[in-house]
Amino acid sequence: MARWGMVIDLDRCTGCQACVVTCKAENNVPVVTPREAQAGRLMLWMTVIPEVEGEFPRVRARFTPRPCMQCDHPPCVKVCPVQAMTKSPEGTVSHVFARCIGCRFCVQACPYGVTYFNWQAPTWPKDLRESLNPDFAIRPTGVVEMCDFCHHRLQHAREEARAEERDVRGEGEYVPACVQACPARALIFGDLDDPNTAASNLAHSPRAFRMLEDLGTSPKVYYLKEG
Amino acid sequence: MQTTHPQAFDRDDVLFAPVLRTGRGFYAAVAVLLAVAAWGAYAYTTQLRYGLGVTGLNRPVAWGFYIVNFVFFIGISHAGTLISAILRLCNAEWRRPITRAAETITVLVLFFGLGSIIIDLGRPDRLFYVLQYGRLQSPLLWDVTSITTYLTASTLYLYMPLIPDLALLRDRARGWRRQLYTAISLGWRGTPEQHRRLERGIAVMAVLVIPIAVSVHTVVSWVFSMTLQPMWKSTIFGPYFVTGAIFSGMAALIIAMAAVRRAYHLENYLKPVHFNSLALLLLTMSLLWFYFTFAEHLTAYYGGELAEGAVLFAKVTGPYAPEFWAMVVLNLVIPLAIMANRRTRTVAGIVTASASVLVGMWLERYLIVVPTLANPRLPYARGLYFPTWVEWSITAGAFALFILLYMVFTKLFPIISIWEVREGRELGIQEAYERIESYLPGPGVGAGGPIALR
Amino acid sequence: MKLTRRGFLGWTGAVAAAAAGAQTVRAIGDLQAATYEAELPPRGIEGWVASVCQQCPGGCGILVRTITGVEDGVKRAVKIEGNPHHPISRGSICPKGLAGLQALYDPDRLRGPLKRTGGRGQGQWQPVSWDEAIATVVQHLQGLRARGEAHTLLLMAGQVRGLMQSLLLRFLDAYGSPNYLSTASGCEAAQQTLLLTQGIAAPIASDLENSAYILSFGAGLLEAGWSPVRQARAYGHLRQGTPGRRGRLVQVEPRLSVTAAKADEWIPVRPGTDGALALAMAHVIVSEGLFDREFVEAWTFGFEDWRDPAGTTHLGFRSLVLNDYRPEAVSAVTGVPIQTIVRVAREFAATRPAVALAERGAGFYTNGLYNRLAIHALNALVGSIEIPGGTVIQRRPPLTPLPPVTRDAAAVRGLAAPRIDGAGTSNSPLASSALPWLPEALRTGSPYRPNALFLCYANPAYSVPEFVRSPDLLDRIPLIVSFSPFPDETSRHADLILPDHTYLERWQDDPIEATWGPAVLGLRQPAIPPRHQTRHTGDVLIQIAQGLGGAVAAAFPWKDFGEVLKGSLRDVAGTQRGLIMTTPFEEARQRRQADAGFWLPTYKTFDEFWSQVAERGGWWDPAYSFGDRERAFRTASGKFEFFSQTLRQRLETLARRGPASGGGLEGVLRALDIRARGDRVFLPHHEAPRFVGDEKEFPLHLIMSKPMSLASTRTANHAWLAEIPDVRTSRPWEIAVEINPETAHKLGVKDGDEVWLESPAGRLRLRARLYQGIAPEVVHVPFGSGHGAGGRFAEAWGANPNRLVGGEADRLAGTPALFATRVRITKA
Repeated sequence: MARWGMVIDLDRCTGCQACVVTCKAENNVPVVTPREAQAGRLMLWMTVIPEVEGEFPRVRARFTPRPCMQCDHPPCVKVCPVQAMTKSPEGTVSHVFARCIGCRFCVQACPYGVTYFNWQAPTWPKDLRESLNPDFAIRPTGVVEMCDFCHHRLQHAREEARAEERDVRGEGEYVPACVQACPARALIFGDLDDPNTAASNLAHSPRAFRMLEDLGTSPKVYYLKEG
Repeated sequence: MQTTHPQAFDRDDVLFAPVLRTGRGFYAAVAVLLAVAAWGAYAYTTQLRYGLGVTGLNRPVAWGFYIVNFVFFIGISHAGTLISAILRLCNAEWRRPITRAAETITVLVLFFGLGSIIIDLGRPDRLFYVLQYGRLQSPLLWDVTSITTYLTASTLYLYMPLIPDLALLRDRARGWRRQLYTAISLGWRGTPEQHRRLERGIAVMAVLVIPIAVSVHTVVSWVFSMTLQPMWKSTIFGPYFVTGAIFSGMAALIIAMAAVRRAYHLENYLKPVHFNSLALLLLTMSLLWFYFTFAEHLTAYYGGELAEGAVLFAKVTGPYAPEFWAMVVLNLVIPLAIMANRRTRTVAGIVTASASVLVGMWLERYLIVVPTLANPRLPYARGLYFPTWVEWSITAGAFALFILLYMVFTKLFPIISIWEVREGRELGIQEAYERIESYLPGPGVGAGGPIALR
Repeated sequence: MKLTRRGFLGWTGAVAAAAAGAQTVRAIGDLQAATYEAELPPRGIEGWVASVCQQCPGGCGILVRTITGVEDGVKRAVKIEGNPHHPISRGSICPKGLAGLQALYDPDRLRGPLKRTGGRGQGQWQPVSWDEAIATVVQHLQGLRARGEAHTLLLMAGQVRGLMQSLLLRFLDAYGSPNYLSTASGCEAAQQTLLLTQGIAAPIASDLENSAYILSFGAGLLEAGWSPVRQARAYGHLRQGTPGRRGRLVQVEPRLSVTAAKADEWIPVRPGTDGALALAMAHVIVSEGLFDREFVEAWTFGFEDWRDPAGTTHLGFRSLVLNDYRPEAVSAVTGVPIQTIVRVAREFAATRPAVALAERGAGFYTNGLYNRLAIHALNALVGSIEIPGGTVIQRRPPLTPLPPVTRDAAAVRGLAAPRIDGAGTSNSPLASSALPWLPEALRTGSPYRPNALFLCYANPAYSVPEFVRSPDLLDRIPLIVSFSPFPDETSRHADLILPDHTYLERWQDDPIEATWGPAVLGLRQPAIPPRHQTRHTGDVLIQIAQGLGGAVAAAFPWKDFGEVLKGSLRDVAGTQRGLIMTTPFEEARQRRQADAGFWLPTYKTFDEFWSQVAERGGWWDPAYSFGDRERAFRTASGKFEFFSQTLRQRLETLARRGPASGGGLEGVLRALDIRARGDRVFLPHHEAPRFVGDEKEFPLHLIMSKPMSLASTRTANHAWLAEIPDVRTSRPWEIAVEINPETAHKLGVKDGDEVWLESPAGRLRLRARLYQGIAPEVVHVPFGSGHGAGGRFAEAWGANPNRLVGGEADRLAGTPALFATRVRITKA
């Protein structure tokens, strides 16, 4: 069984945030008002973390795309009191928002801050509702939501593979929206257990590391450092 | 009026008085508290309609006042059952007039603990999914389990010693009250056999309730310390929370005692000596609390880990410094100054210290929940938390409703255990005398005589 | 009933409880409704349409995912992805492209033609029919022609190219007006660089993928370059595309932009001194003999001192840089340490291929064109012209030319009139359009008063500083017609708005320019049918022309734009080159065939060609012949000219034509504010930049940038982009002024404070953000937000720094000097 994972090459990443916007479009992630956003209620399942360090003129800035880390030992799943956070047999962590009671324990448990809470019912201007993706339901108020490696895309790929009586290929057939959009090809996706995929090879690169690796969460998102 | 205990009538009349007679002051207080509670309810309906967006909660501070209240209320609950059980087991004779007041706090405040969690939920309509789809690994489920157990045990533990008093009331009351007391006094007639069984039951419950109480606040602490968040992931949290709980619970108890003493003229029952004993305990807890707090913060500082340091300095010198230092003053400096000094350790002084502790402990809970959330491990998402009128209103409403329920309780049941006070008079003095004698050098004891514990 | 106190309290409590209870019940009901209703967007049948993005001038290929609803039969566009066949985007897309859905479904879009009812700028409109609207325009234009004032029609266009631009120019040509005004001034300057050095008026493109060393002077490579998608891909390739090789990127600019942050080295330079820095590097390269001797000897003109036929000795580039641009001296001017200049120059010369880029950062000063020339001279020094990894000139697709226009007398008379902005005269001798001088012309009525203005993807009331401050200057034009699909600032001043479709609803060709070498022709086609009563501007133009009758109508014999489009593609189909866009694998196969001398098209007839183009998204010709120097050097010398004979010829022509301000060349130079004299005028050199505002009173320099999320002037109304305006600060819906902490400390400004940013031209209230990545004497405000019109989101956030920009310009190039304004900051 495939173990889907992502490799993010920080040397390629240009901080363009195409991944951020495509994620919003793909998953019908609501836009909140400017006031709400500035109060810290912005919803970006995929986001790019900027870090600026140093003093003029010796300044460095780094940009780190941050999807859900899809941990092999996900802290969010353990703490969910209603089994709304689940880990699939393939290791993908996803959230059943129809069951979520909105306790936000997962929000506290996640050291990466990838879970988002619907502080109010999402609203769109009438015209913009037209562009919502029919593959993904709109969340109601009061539940948590988060990146699940575009699980609906896996379902599509799986249906097609099933028609041909085979498994989904470890590379190319199923990619999350962010991976597809990335202009710098900084996001690489595939089966981490398949030694023939670019993702699994890059995950073993000497440049590879994982975010807050020492916490023992075993993320399936690998980063390749610059240089 | 028929009574089975005519001889006691005159002496403890003042204990029955609150139940049987109600003055204007009471109604005025009820009206005020009801208004505040109603306002809180209105705030909650607003929250239900528009979602949690009406609060000041945000990213990353997704838990705020409600969770602080939850921890605080559960902490207060340790006032009663735990203190009362320990004192009972230790045969502390001065416990007799205060156990009821304490146990009542426990039972009532637990509802507010649970209620705070429900208020905090984004989808309270799905509350029962916790039972339907519960995940045993989740500390939140441990909480649900241990708090309901605690609630059940505490209710029993409150109820059992209440039975003889209910019988007393049954014999004095009329109308619907008489029917009520008859029903719930379970045919208590005060026979020796009934007494023996009751005493045994109480003793068993007293033993049982202590580990449950300890477990409850330990589990509450685990909601935090099971995560990987800086300054939450701490092994000290279990005992630290239990200590804090007893500390705040005692302060609440002292205030409640002082309030009923004043309102119902119970100076003869709740004497300075009772306050003094509790004050000494409170003082001990204050020092113990400080010990834990110091240990907790020193390790975070000394290790110098960045994520922990961010939280620590946010508390000590950063945006939460006013709250932090207020907490230290309220929880340590003021209680110590008042209660370590015999001259200021008066009833008024002790109540002042208790009020200070109560506020201080609320701040402590706030400082545990909020700064860690505001300074998560990945520094890009730092934020601040400013509660809105909704949280303030709901918090005020919860406190008001709690006080109201406590007041109503005193109107339905004697807030001082009448039969236990009498028992103290009738048996306790003799028993204590014998016990003390058994401590002393004398015949028949040196060779390992019977231990005079019930 | 007797009301006792107890009773009263009881009743009060009961009423309160009942009220609270009722509200709770209602609240729970609402909650349930919000939960269970309308959770899934309408399902339907999926389709994909290949098209071309138009959120910026990049011309990336896109695939639009459409869902045709099962229940309502409505076709909706639900996602935009990159077109994997399109050579520019190769399946990727940028945030702006993704947000195209929010242009299509913009809740504030114009839904049909509008006629102004209130005063200008008041935004009061009344819907009119298309026929009536077009008749109104035709009537007015006929009047002008009848009065012999055809030349007083102005057409202002922004991001327009390909056939649409041809039609606009053709309309003016047939109608009789010389006044095509372009708001795309940055592109204009880039074209002039190549014109002066290589004799071709085309933008400089570069083969970034294959470069090993990119020395960028202020280019927004990773923010706002031509096709951000292709540039990001090239950047990724530069870094990690070839195992064992990691190309370098050095960014020169006063601010740590995204590009600078991603660069190996960021060199903060004093504003307006990029050219000096480039010349100091040239000094190092020349003095140390690191330049490409072969190329310089064979293919450049004016490197060594030279003698003209008259026997006069002229200054060569070598002597110029050796004498004037010693690193020691330049270091003092630019603020860049000597060691850095020397080291970077050596690296640049030692690494092949290396390319130097000059873009907006270096070009938006009063000395912009000379800066660009100096920087491009570096490319010539190391021979990085028309080589893989160097600069290239993009080929154009071989579109069938439109038939020539037969002008009638009115047109001939109109075209004989001077341009209203004086482009090509001593105002701006090199420019084909010089927008900075239009406000003056409007104010003074000289050389004449314009009588009509067409706005085509142009929003000067937002993008041209002078018009931002006084949009009512436009009100002096009796008829303003806007073709904008959105209610932008300038359209507010229009008399008629004839809204175009959005790009996702219309047919259009998109030939790529300025991105890289090969010719690429994308086809834009409707992803969904037009949602509103909008009309293709091409169609409207044809209808207006036909309404005008006579020779104008004769120049527009087509039914609609689609016919023009199809007709123009015939030559592409017949050219026997190139291929329909396809997968890289298929392309490689076809290219191998081509190398072997075969051209095996996938189509036989034009109709097949057309349907394949429509299916795949376009046509392109992957072959690019590097080293074709005859094509690349069209100068008098047939070489790259350090000493620009083109410039010399243009200026001398001007000097001969008449005294603009005094006599001869001296007069021309004075009019252009060029301080150099003699041969230096025609060589790349450092002109000391001029700034608006006194240094004492306004101690800071204002610079601007276009962040990735804010293209042109239209994306501010896309909420998705407003949430992520700048990756460096990651603050939603916020445009702030960036200040160096040291400067801020001196001013007593703390992070997040509200401040006034003031220039001699105006002031702006903004939030201050302290940023270590900006030089202490510089402040920065991103450009693209802060709209006064254009939709609910656009009007809700940001600030427009153009409000502060003073009237300086690069007079030689005819472009506004947008970075030439000094400002001061005071706490608000």
